[in-house]
Amino acid sequence: MAATHADVHPPYLYPDYKSTRLRAPAQPLVRVAPSPLETTGPVFPKQFVKESEADLTTWGRSAPLGEKMVLVGRLLDEDGRPVRRSLIEVWQANASGKYPHPVDDHEAPLDPNFLGKGQVLTDDEGRYRIVTVKPGAYPWQNHAFGWRPAHIHFSLFGNAYAQRLITQMFFPGDPLLAIDPIFQSVPEAGRNLLIAELDLEQGLEGVALGYRWDMVLRGPRATPMAV
Amino acid sequence: MTVPKPTPSQTVGPFFARELLWKDGGIVLFPGRGNRITLTGQVFDGNGAPIFDALFETWQADANGTSPSGDDGSRPYGYGRVSTDPEGRYAIETVMPGPFKGPGGETYAPQISVAIFARGLLKALHTRVFLAPLDVIKDDPLARAIGDPDRLRTLIAARDSKDPTIYRWDVRLRGAGEAVFIEF
Repeated sequence: MAATHADVHPPYLYPDYKSTRLRAPAQPLVRVAPSPLETTGPVFPKQFVKESEADLTTWGRSAPLGEKMVLVGRLLDEDGRPVRRSLIEVWQANASGKYPHPVDDHEAPLDPNFLGKGQVLTDDEGRYRIVTVKPGAYPWQNHAFGWRPAHIHFSLFGNAYAQRLITQMFFPGDPLLAIDPIFQSVPEAGRNLLIAELDLEQGLEGVALGYRWDMVLRGPRATPMAV
Repeated sequence: MTVPKPTPSQTVGPFFARELLWKDGGIVLFPGRGNRITLTGQVFDGNGAPIFDALFETWQADANGTSPSGDDGSRPYGYGRVSTDPEGRYAIETVMPGPFKGPGGETYAPQISVAIFARGLLKALHTRVFLAPLDVIKDDPLARAIGDPDRLRTLIAARDSKDPTIYRWDVRLRGAGEAVFIEF
């Protein structure tokens, strides 16, 4: 059976993730076809992205702390077609689970050699590759003893505004996935789609672990799904 | 052949600011001219408290009602991106978009497509804000889909009485005066 968006996307209101309680709309969404405007989208020029921005480990004076990793994958649409020359933005905590952000009050050290931010354009086959360090888990105040599993944030544009997606990628075998309400908000059928797989040969021998994670965006002209 | 499932959405979280914000991201670029306007307002939660950590994005037609394509060499045309400030305020400096036609000949009133991301939003909130009064937008496809004028008014930006280049639009995500949000 073909997947519908409802199979994989989380609801707006997921009370275990407390911040949804006052921010999730209470009224049902109104279903409309994407306007002709929304089947197009912002076009990022090639020079918007520097090649060096796909490697998060080289901007400091020396290598950042942590487990170096290479992440590869493809960006596809629901018909399995590659999404070409499309912007992917990533951001993440450092290996200690700390963001260089004024709101982050976690008492873990900043890494002067790691900013945790990068971007890349997919190639003509929808492929991307980034080099980074594995982010650390970190505590948060949603519930007692709450810890977010290690994750990398992804912001995707596709080739149409209606394809815009922000999501998070997780790591295989992480025991914190079971207690993370943000991850658990995703219906069971969708959860594995957010977990990268180990792909050692994509790594760098003796230097970096390899992971693979493919992403799928809705088709740019997909009609609203059936109720 | 199995159809690949779409990747599930997750929240942007609270830590995006340094990563996703651009210098002058609230100034929308176009290759041509148009009447300069500013869309501004506040974003509120279900208690009426300002949401100070939202990412507010816009995509719109140019003054002629044409979808922008291309870039100025550094950034895409037609696209705006800001975060709300401690009072929940956003501001997008742009041009008045023209109306445009849909594939069935329907007329889309002057509007800006808006996406809001924030901590506590597991999926983007999508909507369209109208830059024209109720009587002008009544045949717009979204206006017709909403029907109820009280609900529709949540998507109409109010022109400032002193400065006609300013359009004010406050967005309530939940509860009394909750804006209409859409799914494609």
